[in-house]
Amino acid sequence: MRLQFDDSVEAFRAELLEWLALNRPSAETMAADPSVSTGHAPEWARRWTRTMFDAGWLVPGWPPELGGRNATPTQTLVYLEELAKAGVPRTTNVQGLGIVAPSIIDYGSEAQIRDYAMRILRGEATACLGMSEPDAGSDLAALRTRAVRDGDHFVVDGQKVWTSGANYADFCFVFCRTDPDVPKHKGISILIVDMDSPGITVRPLPEIVHPEHPDLNEVFFDGVQVPADHLVGELNAGWAMANGSLAHERGMVWVSAVQGISEAMAHLHEEAPDRIDALPPDERALAIDRITQVEIDAFAARCLGYRAFAKLARGGSAPEQALMKLFTSETRQAVAEVAAALQGPDALVVGGASFDGHQAIDEPQGTWLEQYFVSFANTISAGTSEIQRTIIAERVLGLPREPRPA
Amino acid sequence: MDLELDADQLELRDHARAFLADACPPSLVRGVYEGTGTADGLWKSMVDLGWPALGIDVADDGLGQGFIAEAVLVGELGRVVAPTPYLATVTQLAPMLAEAGAHDVLARIAAGTCTGTLAVHETTAKASRHITAQAIPIGGGRRVLDGTKTHVLDGATADEVAVVVRGGPDDERGLGIVLVPREAFDAEPLIVIDPTMPLATLHLDGIEVDADRVLIEPGSPEAGWRIGLVQAHATVAMAISCVATCRAILEATVEYAKQRHQFGRPIGSFQAIKHRLADLYLAVERADALAWYAACTIAEQDRSGHAPMAAHMAKAAAGDCQRLATRDGLQLHGGIGFTWENDLHFLLKRAVTTAFLFGDAASHRVQLAQCRGLEA
Repeated sequence: MRLQFDDSVEAFRAELLEWLALNRPSAETMAADPSVSTGHAPEWARRWTRTMFDAGWLVPGWPPELGGRNATPTQTLVYLEELAKAGVPRTTNVQGLGIVAPSIIDYGSEAQIRDYAMRILRGEATACLGMSEPDAGSDLAALRTRAVRDGDHFVVDGQKVWTSGANYADFCFVFCRTDPDVPKHKGISILIVDMDSPGITVRPLPEIVHPEHPDLNEVFFDGVQVPADHLVGELNAGWAMANGSLAHERGMVWVSAVQGISEAMAHLHEEAPDRIDALPPDERALAIDRITQVEIDAFAARCLGYRAFAKLARGGSAPEQALMKLFTSETRQAVAEVAAALQGPDALVVGGASFDGHQAIDEPQGTWLEQYFVSFANTISAGTSEIQRTIIAERVLGLPREPRPA
Repeated sequence: MDLELDADQLELRDHARAFLADACPPSLVRGVYEGTGTADGLWKSMVDLGWPALGIDVADDGLGQGFIAEAVLVGELGRVVAPTPYLATVTQLAPMLAEAGAHDVLARIAAGTCTGTLAVHETTAKASRHITAQAIPIGGGRRVLDGTKTHVLDGATADEVAVVVRGGPDDERGLGIVLVPREAFDAEPLIVIDPTMPLATLHLDGIEVDADRVLIEPGSPEAGWRIGLVQAHATVAMAISCVATCRAILEATVEYAKQRHQFGRPIGSFQAIKHRLADLYLAVERADALAWYAACTIAEQDRSGHAPMAAHMAKAAAGDCQRLATRDGLQLHGGIGFTWENDLHFLLKRAVTTAFLFGDAASHRVQLAQCRGLEA
């Protein structure tokens, strides 16, 4: 139990910061050609991914041949923190680098690793993740997109929704039903599907804020032929891999989430004195108290993250991932809500160029009210807050599961 | 930053937990509540184990294990609602003595031959942040006291009381600390909801204090800051204790929700119950993480200025957590938790007591905002 890291970690941090200062894309470069979807990698982003890969800074915990340097978990934590502080995205294709590539490396064939995972790591391709369907959201295992084996192909029919980045991605990691006659968890497989395959239609779903930059999509599969060797891992073993995929997603996602909260909180503190002065005197104490409540949440999020990390680093399992997902997403929402309320009717005034289109960065963008609406992306996606509460109750507290309907 | 206990600290925790399971069962707490027993034997065993000496520096005859080890014990004592002088003696008086370099009394605490407390609050609980008690110079370095302190933990039984005072009637005179022995003043025990945390009002008017009992000279350089650090230390310990008690409430309530069946299934299988308990778990974890962060700032004697802010956050979060733990702990136990025969109310009352002493959540949020320069 201590406040500081040891010297070797600080030396790692210094090396990273020195390298970043020399090699990072400038804010101007990024702003001139923004990534407008998590499947979109502009030229600078592709070069940046390749630069990080070559220098062993893309996934520091991996070996050099996978773009890493065999960094320790603590070093990886410092790396994610410093990158978030610097305002440089590791990648614009978060689900590609964060979930799809690691899953292919864990479960895929050598050819799949070479042709898909490595291309993500070198900045040559982007990927999207085809999980949710219209009738399979929180109940993901209810998914119905069918993949039927036909000779050396699978034929895929069905529909995905909320597919981030599908409007730009090069390929999709598609969760399909391959056996409809067994319990729902036991008949799911994963296919790698090239997004330019005949029979795929992508329909972007403009969002409630900044509809000009849609990231979410519906993806329709109509008799799409997928080579049989694009099956990832074993047939009908997709559910276990789904849990593995989400573990990748949730492992250290909190680092950038916490950094985003800290930055939002810092902005709120900058604005607060003037905003409070502008309030009628009898409203000031209440406003200050609301700010202070979210300040405590913001700092607690960081402390909780470090603690979950310490448990993980000592080899414990980390059921705290559900807690971190729940707490960081709700805290981020609360900060935006408090800040918008502090603005009063000024919060209603939007517009201007405050939103640069970057989808991949947790840093606050847009007005407070826009940030508030955008924050629901994180309390709804990747397991809603309600699902996280159920997970905490059942897996952390050990409460009995709800009886399943027959 | 590493907010997990290391192997030695975990071992200490496990030993303490095992020891207290035998030495401080609910029946002992019930005896104190019902006036049919005392916890004197428990305290004697703790002294025999060297617990009062654990966090005190080796130079002061302590074991030099630091505040984290001390806080581990505070938490374990809070879990079982132990009725002992540990909290007041070790986390309130001892740090004040250490700050003032009062070797002799510290050595007596380490040896287990002296108990003590810190008197801060005055007249009403909410006025606790404004000190009016005075220690007026009367020559030769001696001072005479004027004022009343209240809600003093163990105030009627502690051997030595450190009193937060002003140097005189003028509000601008700085704060200081005087040490007053038990026999010097009248203590009026208060009848409180949690008899394991006895409080008293201390009438200090006319008590004369020798120069060597002025621990921190009122108005001396950094006196206010030094007293603030000690208050932060005591506040963080109170937060650790409060959160540990709240975790015990959570655990008891989860256990009950697993056992109790209605409509043919455990009540804990209903989502309405699950989500309340998940939120309580979140509140406990939030408060616990902040409390241990604050404990690190105390343990590392962080004088960067963050220790008081960390203490404010920790105690505010502990208060938030207590509010949920008390409400949901009692509500979800249903009628059984409402009965005197059930042990739950010992935990509930201890949680409220530790949440309200040394500043409740609202008070610490206001102080945190003031640290940030935000004032209404």
